[in-house]
Amino acid sequence: MNNLSRRSFVSFALASTSLLAMPAISTGSARPKVVVVGGGAGGATAARYIAKDSKGAIDVTLIEASKHYYTCFYSNLYLGGFRDYDSIGHSYDNLSANHGVNVVHDWAISVDSSARKVRLGSGATVSYDRLVLSPGIDIKYDSIDGYSVEAQTKMPHAWKSGTQVKVLRDQVLNMPKGGTFAMVPPPNPYRCPPGPYERISMVAHILKEKNPTAKIVVIDPKNKFSKQGLFMAGWEKHYPGMVEWIDNDTHGGIKNVNPETMEIETDLDTFKADVACVVPAQRAGAIAMNAGVTDGDWSPIVPASMQTKADGNIYVLGDASVASAMPKSGFSANSQAKVAANHIRGELTDSRVFPAKFSNTCWSLVATNDGIKVGANYKAGDEKIEVVDKFVSKTDEGNAKRKKTYEESIGWYNGITTDMFS
Amino acid sequence: MVNIIFKFFIAISCLLIFRGLLAEPLLDGADFDYGEYLSGQCVTCHQSSSDEGIPAINGAEALYIAEKLMLYKNKELENEVMQLVASALDKEQIASLAIYFNSLEK
Repeated sequence: MNNLSRRSFVSFALASTSLLAMPAISTGSARPKVVVVGGGAGGATAARYIAKDSKGAIDVTLIEASKHYYTCFYSNLYLGGFRDYDSIGHSYDNLSANHGVNVVHDWAISVDSSARKVRLGSGATVSYDRLVLSPGIDIKYDSIDGYSVEAQTKMPHAWKSGTQVKVLRDQVLNMPKGGTFAMVPPPNPYRCPPGPYERISMVAHILKEKNPTAKIVVIDPKNKFSKQGLFMAGWEKHYPGMVEWIDNDTHGGIKNVNPETMEIETDLDTFKADVACVVPAQRAGAIAMNAGVTDGDWSPIVPASMQTKADGNIYVLGDASVASAMPKSGFSANSQAKVAANHIRGELTDSRVFPAKFSNTCWSLVATNDGIKVGANYKAGDEKIEVVDKFVSKTDEGNAKRKKTYEESIGWYNGITTDMFS
Repeated sequence: MVNIIFKFFIAISCLLIFRGLLAEPLLDGADFDYGEYLSGQCVTCHQSSSDEGIPAINGAEALYIAEKLMLYKNKELENEVMQLVASALDKEQIASLAIYFNSLEK
């Protein structure tokens, strides 16, 4: 005890005790255990359905760092001034109160798949019989030269909803008169394929009203995009001359961005922006990488169940999965969650397992009461999730139809958030 | 008096049987549990109580639901999302959904 003062010894002893006391979050039951990581459209839905439909027979723990979840879908409508920020925020309280889900607000740090344990940021571990990972995306900050975690305050990606969308909205509202808004959409595959183009529409909507001489330049790493004809016709109709979209073949590739000078350099030219939204390439959330269920940037799954190909006890939902024909969308994740929930209940409680059925619709808002949509049905092929049938809005369908489509999207928003959080 | 009650009973029975015969083809093969599973696809959009933008369907008559789905399936009712959903449902699945949603409280 010579070199160790009494005080530090006591601290050390207490720390040791708490480490020893901390290791496991025990749910105190012999029921089969499902741990769900990530409380978004995939994870919240999966936790809710497994708990609700098993009627208490399965012990469900949801690990989610945020106490309030702000949906990525409709965050563009907040940006455009069609929704207030609070209206896209949701609490997890009902999952506990109504369905007995054990909601733990913490980060999942690592997965020990042989011991079937998840380690949390607090140091605690949670055991599972089946693990559902629905971590969404991580941003590949180094995929664009000059971009970084620090750069995101100057050139926000705002691709995970939350406070960055607020930052971007403030920047757009305070843009100099006649200034330039630059958008760098991400390369494929990425979360929410129509999202960048709905975002452009929403920024144009603000600028038309508050800063009508401003310009929008879109420096795209792609040569085509989702609902392209519909968006471009909409921009010409509602915001004539404001939006310039430059495809990859024309600008020759994005060489770098400079958050200090607000410049975006391509082979063709250097674009100077007053406000820039730069959305880098993406990959599955880190916990999927850590769990060893990824191949490259994403996690391959078995289409009939959403189990990972690497580990039958681990399921991956939503953006982080390789769902082949299904886009990375909240609707897709919600749809996949129900397939996984049904399969997990079957495995753990011998309940009936029905054939996988997947669907997706993506609604986008181009301008006030001008809603468009694209959707498809999917089936579980042997190797991939395959399209069965699909539709897309038509360019000449008329104002009444577009208004109805927007109203339908409000119904969907209320529906899916009820399906996740009630 | 007994005769009148008997005739009334027969008349009611005939009515119920007739109605049952009418209803049977569309609701044939209904499987409640399958309907509950399939309903997951519907409740992404349809809420239990609110009609805002998308109609509430909880507690609706089973035949009404089945008929509507058949009309969407045959593209006799407009709405791309519903046509798509219904096109992927067979008769048994439609019947299962119909009896499941009918069982829910409005």
